[in-house]
Amino acid sequence: MTGTLLRNELRMVLRDTRTVLIAVVAPLVLFPLMIFALNWVEERETQRLETQTYAFAVVGERADFVEGVILEALTLEATRPASVVDGVGAPADNGEPGAGPTISAANFERMDAADVDAALQAGDLHLLVVGRDAEPADSLASGVPVIELRYRANSDFSRSARARMEERLLAVRAEMRDSVFRAAGFPVDLDQVAVLESENVASAAKEAGSLLGGALVPFLILLMLSGGSIVAADSISGEKERGTLETLLTTASSRQDIVHAKLGAIMAVGLAVGMVNIANIGVYIGLGVIDLPENFQVAIGLDTLLILLMLVVPLIVMVAASLLLLSGIAKSYQEYQIYFLPLFLVFLLPSFAAFLPGVELRSVIALVPISGLAVATRALLMGDWHFVWGALAFASTAAAGWVLLRRTEATLSNERLITSAGADEAEFRGGAALFPREVLRWFVGFWVLFFVVNLWFGEDLGVRGQVVVNLGVIFLGGSILLLRRYELDAKETLKLHRPHWRNWVAVLVGAPSVLVLGIGLFEVVNRYVFPVPESMLESFGQSLVADIPLWQMVFFIAVMPGVLEEIAFRGVLFSGLRKRFSSTWAPVVLSALVFSVFRVSLFRFAPTFFIGVVLAVVVLRTGSIFPAMLWHFLNNFLAVVPQEAGWIVIDQSEGLPVAWYLMALAGGVGRFVLMQRRPGRRP
Amino acid sequence: MTDQPRPTVSVSDLRKTFYDESRGEVHAVDGLTFECFPGEVFGLLGANGAGKTTTLRMLSTVLKPTGGSASVMGHDIATEPEAVRKSLGFYSASTALYPRLTARETIDFFTRINGFPREAVDARVAELVERFGISEYENGRVDKLSSGMKQKVSIARTIAHDPPVLIFDEPTVGLDVMNALEMVKVVRELKAEGKTILYSSHIMSEVEKLCDRIGIVHRGRLLALGSLDDLRGATGEHYLEDVFLHYVKEAEGIAGEAEIGPMGELEEGVVTGRGTQAGEAGGAPHP
Repeated sequence: MTGTLLRNELRMVLRDTRTVLIAVVAPLVLFPLMIFALNWVEERETQRLETQTYAFAVVGERADFVEGVILEALTLEATRPASVVDGVGAPADNGEPGAGPTISAANFERMDAADVDAALQAGDLHLLVVGRDAEPADSLASGVPVIELRYRANSDFSRSARARMEERLLAVRAEMRDSVFRAAGFPVDLDQVAVLESENVASAAKEAGSLLGGALVPFLILLMLSGGSIVAADSISGEKERGTLETLLTTASSRQDIVHAKLGAIMAVGLAVGMVNIANIGVYIGLGVIDLPENFQVAIGLDTLLILLMLVVPLIVMVAASLLLLSGIAKSYQEYQIYFLPLFLVFLLPSFAAFLPGVELRSVIALVPISGLAVATRALLMGDWHFVWGALAFASTAAAGWVLLRRTEATLSNERLITSAGADEAEFRGGAALFPREVLRWFVGFWVLFFVVNLWFGEDLGVRGQVVVNLGVIFLGGSILLLRRYELDAKETLKLHRPHWRNWVAVLVGAPSVLVLGIGLFEVVNRYVFPVPESMLESFGQSLVADIPLWQMVFFIAVMPGVLEEIAFRGVLFSGLRKRFSSTWAPVVLSALVFSVFRVSLFRFAPTFFIGVVLAVVVLRTGSIFPAMLWHFLNNFLAVVPQEAGWIVIDQSEGLPVAWYLMALAGGVGRFVLMQRRPGRRP
Repeated sequence: MTDQPRPTVSVSDLRKTFYDESRGEVHAVDGLTFECFPGEVFGLLGANGAGKTTTLRMLSTVLKPTGGSASVMGHDIATEPEAVRKSLGFYSASTALYPRLTARETIDFFTRINGFPREAVDARVAELVERFGISEYENGRVDKLSSGMKQKVSIARTIAHDPPVLIFDEPTVGLDVMNALEMVKVVRELKAEGKTILYSSHIMSEVEKLCDRIGIVHRGRLLALGSLDDLRGATGEHYLEDVFLHYVKEAEGIAGEAEIGPMGELEEGVVTGRGTQAGEAGGAPHP
């Protein structure tokens, strides 16, 4: 069934002349045209600047001195082509020791004018050289002459004249100084002082891999988006517009088959367009129209190639699924186009992650869809591949692709595709009824805000500032925003109920026990399953050993998270998720997952997830948020303060005493026995 | 024919409630119950917006009912939507054809995706092309065909997989006289083949001519159900138009020549009549 549908989709795509034109002919014709045009412009510009005769005038009280210098400067032979001065290409001899000054070819002609400043403004003069004595304001030794080059930056010729003259003047000045040194018997050739050499030990393949690997994912996304979009726009929104969608939906084919076929068509066309473009570029590289960086060589083994192909599969699915989803959401072709630009940015921006300095595959970036893949791809091509982290990057993008795919299937079942009116029940009632459905979206927004703030301002804010902004502004502000936006009952949503007294005892016993159990658990995991680098542990420790008084530490590390994070995560988020899902565990796990994603450091991801599950269970068991707040407070307090304050000393390499674990186990069991809801209260 | 034992379509207390921002809760279909049998043309007669299209869309599983149940050839529309769609063909003015396919490709495509046995597809397509006289333009692209040709291709694709149940939702809307007559002819042929046909219309003469039994739908409710003669006998009116008005006035609880107000359905621009007191007196249910 999918096969028939797919064949039909592709047949229709190929019959659409616009599609073929945009997808294939345009890149084949436009791309070389653009390159030719650029090359032509560049060559002409270079030629023009090189053959130009630059008019200059010399004025000022030290004009005599300047004239002498210029006379000498103009006798210098050019040592490199002019294009380098004009900012195109990199100087080949840059930094090489022993090379003389670089001088560009240029013709200068002295010109006299009555009013030199006016002539410069009028463009008759390209350059005005002023020779004067140093002024007190220049804070130079008196008697030193100053050569001032006056030019107009809005004229290519004037700019070029300045650059060329400056090179020459610098060379003459250096020569003047050297002659003084020589006269005094000092060595002037720098190589006589010391020889400086540098050597690149990375293989050319690795170097190229780093460049290629970083560019590959953005490039692929660009091609997939532009190629796939041609089909996607036509897919659902086009069918809606032409009225064929109802015809299709009343046939025996399943929604899933339809989505898969459309997805297949998008991927096929996206890939085909991609291939055409890559082949196109290949041809032009072969013809020498496009220059590759020097020493560019890519050596990809079969195994690397296979992993690479594996890696891009979820990416392709994700792009195709989101295009199709967009097509399903848009009511018309036009609306689709409006949505397309934001989607474009949403995909392209994270794909540039590989170009960020210092981003490594072995970090939380692996968990970010697209970004993780971009970094993984670069790591793969530069020979820095790590299987577990690579798999994580693969999984994160694959998961995102899967979610999008499911969403697209759901879109096709949406009745609004057929009937223009008729919102469903939740949307009709709005407010609190919509909240469970939208709460996750809001938290994604909060996360983006959180991530951006901490990435950009994290260091400036310091530990206290971060806590205030994250907890006070984002978490508390976001919670209040949601409570007001959806007109939620704060008492019910946040579970502000008085708990049974036994729960307090349970928390006092449970929090320390579970903390110790958690430490034990991660000790085991670290040691045997998933070693965390020692350096990471150290940096984690250091971030907390900030120079903060003890009472402040308690306040910022334990009290604020205990109250505010509970309001946001076990209050607003958890209650929304509980209304969304019928199962008990889905909201527990999901809320903990979201909670842990709000830890930028991957090392803290798992422990946060663990405590997130525990706290959600506490809320479930007690029917109140207050025990969870106390628990969270105790957990953070005990995890940090006793050590920081020097009350206890724990040797990291030894781990905790076994007796602690045994006590903790007993406490953990005791907690469950003690913890219960107030009678007669429903969760 | 009505005494045939096994219904092919059975609808029980079917309901559909929409939520509309301007009108609030709208009961487009409000507890419909009826059955259809093989070899029968079952007519749904009602003004625009009475709930006919919504009912038929629920039967074709494109819309989900808010309440009640229905089955086609024994398959429940809620639990076996694909089996339901496989056993019916759906024709309406809003089911367009793919403009970039040829006539033959269109028929071939719909034969295949409706699960017709693969090896029999070619023969079936040839048969349909022959039957509807499509062969002259079978390789012409749909967007280049005249409206009469398109209509034939549309009918051919509707019955492509030879389904036992056919739904024609206002099939003659926008057709000229000749094409409308052609449509009536095709429906008669299909009836003779023993198909179950659900035929919705607001055109009295068509329903009079075609339908074995008629259900009069008003505001999502079935006001009367029976053969034309049954309905004539029950109301004492001769023309179907008068029969229809009789029931509607009865339902609205008014005598005389008051106009029929708009019904509670959500298709924009299809509301006939004016928003009369009659309509509001009838009390469209609101939340």
